[in-house]
Amino acid sequence: MTDVIPPSEENIEQPELAADAIKLSAQIDEEDLIIETRGLNKRYGKLHAVKDLNLQVPRGAIYGFVGPNGAGKTSTMRILTTLMRPSGGEAFIDGYSVIHNPRDVRRSIGYMPDFFGVYEDMKVWEYLDFFAACYEIPESQRHGLINDLLELVDLSHRRDDMVDKLSRGMKQRLCLARTLAHDPSVLILDEPASGLDPRARVEIRELLIELAKMGKTIFFSSHILADVSEICTHIGIIEAGEMVMQGPIKELRRQLNPHKIIVISLLDKVEEAKTAILQLPDVEAVTDLAPEDGKKRLRVEFKGEDAGVSQLLAALTTKGIPIVNFAEETSDLEQVFMKVTKGIVS
Amino acid sequence: MATRLNRLYNPLYILIRNPVALKELRGRMRGPRAFMVMTGYLLIVGFFTTFIYLAATSDSLSNTGEIDGGEVGRILFSSVVAIELFLVVFITPAFTASAISGEHEHQTYDLLRTTLLPESSLVWGKLFSALAYIILLLLAAIPMQSIAFLFGGVDLPEIYISFVILMCTAVFLGSLGIYFSSTTRSTLRANILTYITAMAVALISALIIVVLVGINNSYTATTNTSVVTRAGEWILLIPRGLFICLNPLATLLVTRDFLINQQSVFTIEYAFQDGTSVTLLSPWLVFSFIYLTMAGIILWRTVHILKRIQE
Ligand SMILES: Nc1ncnc2c1ncn2[C@@H]1O[C@H](COP(=O)(O)OP(=O)(O)OP(=O)(O)O)[C@@H](O)[C@H]1O
Ligand SMILES: [Mg+2]
Repeated sequence: MTDVIPPSEENIEQPELAADAIKLSAQIDEEDLIIETRGLNKRYGKLHAVKDLNLQVPRGAIYGFVGPNGAGKTSTMRILTTLMRPSGGEAFIDGYSVIHNPRDVRRSIGYMPDFFGVYEDMKVWEYLDFFAACYEIPESQRHGLINDLLELVDLSHRRDDMVDKLSRGMKQRLCLARTLAHDPSVLILDEPASGLDPRARVEIRELLIELAKMGKTIFFSSHILADVSEICTHIGIIEAGEMVMQGPIKELRRQLNPHKIIVISLLDKVEEAKTAILQLPDVEAVTDLAPEDGKKRLRVEFKGEDAGVSQLLAALTTKGIPIVNFAEETSDLEQVFMKVTKGIVS
Repeated sequence: MATRLNRLYNPLYILIRNPVALKELRGRMRGPRAFMVMTGYLLIVGFFTTFIYLAATSDSLSNTGEIDGGEVGRILFSSVVAIELFLVVFITPAFTASAISGEHEHQTYDLLRTTLLPESSLVWGKLFSALAYIILLLLAAIPMQSIAFLFGGVDLPEIYISFVILMCTAVFLGSLGIYFSSTTRSTLRANILTYITAMAVALISALIIVVLVGINNSYTATTNTSVVTRAGEWILLIPRGLFICLNPLATLLVTRDFLINQQSVFTIEYAFQDGTSVTLLSPWLVFSFIYLTMAGIILWRTVHILKRIQE
């Protein structure tokens, strides 16, 4: 038994996923919106859960809808899936109004709720057969369809097992297969990775990329930005019912991150290093960090380009400052998230 | 072509075309539960049939010294039907009160609602699958009913009519169960509400029938015959007849009496005190009409409720 050690998130990371997302985003027409809301509002009595939301999801996007607990993600999704009436505003899927053409909307979407059950006394294939029938797929086509779907979510070997005997991750994949039964153009997935172990999460992510390559638009929610950033082409951040920002992920990164953060570890001459750094152009601030392994550390906020970074290094070495490490901190979206949502959440 | 025709006329096929009915039947017939319900049901019917058989035969013996076969047959048959009625009243709500609330409780309702399945198909599918199983239970008890045939005194129309009355009761209670299941999120509450309503209909109508029969008896029994008019009798007859047709047991008994005395399946002759009579529809027809109409209205309301979107 070699695989008893649970794989950590790092050692099963799949860098090609991000590459796929970049490839996908190149093909997206930002003007061709498949999900669009205009001034969407939802009130539960006094609670204003969704406030003037203008969601814009272009066709073919993998759109990560991110926000902390209670931000209004599920409420928005329930409105988009025709399960709930908005208190104000409009929402369209593929051009159909969720209020006036719910049937057309249902035909266009596949929905996976945050919490869902499976029927206890059913086999895996019967489960898919049932939903395929509910989507009015003729009996003659269902057999082949079910096999294809099971293949896609890698459950072919469990075809004749009872649904309630499946693991959580398998149920999640089965439910995903179910959402695909009628070949919808949009998938609306509420926290598809919640409650899954790291490997199952990666599997779901791979599946989403796979589906996006098949031409489906994927709109999914999460409160873990790291999960989202890797595979998304677009991101919307919602906070207390309001859209804080949304757009293509590259743009958001650029907007939010004009600074470079450089961490320098040195053996000595801290004050000397500080004054030297502050004399250089484009340096915003220098702060002390807690020493690590007896080495002193400095954190430099720098708004220049790469050339400036190398100048900075050169300046320090010519002054004979004993540098042991010089690293630009890669700012991940999690920090962006914290920065953006800071103060709004109480 | 042959299979197409077959499909058109085969009610089972229509049933299976409804995804919900198919799913429910698959689930219900799988595993030991369906078998256990059937066994329990047959045991109860069998136990009472034996008990009544023994009671009826010893009774006849002690009175006349000879068994009146026809009377024993009739008592046996009526008793089996009465037990079946009791079980239908008991089982149908249990089968249907979880129809919608159960989907909520299992968190499968939202999945269903976002499919293209019409609300009416959901309701029909739930009702059909429950009724299909009840039909199976009623058919399974036919051998015990037919013990009555050995004694004579029971005709085939009685069997058909009792089946119709039992089924109409099941359709009505099933619709009621689904209705309450759609108005509350809790299966337990839906069950309780259905039982309370069913009991209320049965007991209140029985009480009113007893009172009305009493009034009629004292009215027609007056020695002063000039007081008893046809109009007066009519006025007492109509509500009495209606309440009889609201109660499945009363309908069964009254229909049976008319069948035995008048040998007429669809109509009855009601005799007034003045010697004239009037032809009326047999109670079981009126009963079926009333129960199916009520079921229709309830189902229509249910579909309406399910079409509502959460505010
Ligand atoms: N049916 C409801 N009745 C009343 N309040 C509700 C209802 N549904 C949601 N809310 C409230 O609306 C707000 C938004 O909830 P919502 O479920 O949309 O958030 P979310 O972003 O999906 O959160 P999470 O990440 O926890 O799933 C919350 O404050 C929640 O308590
Ligand atoms: Mg949620």
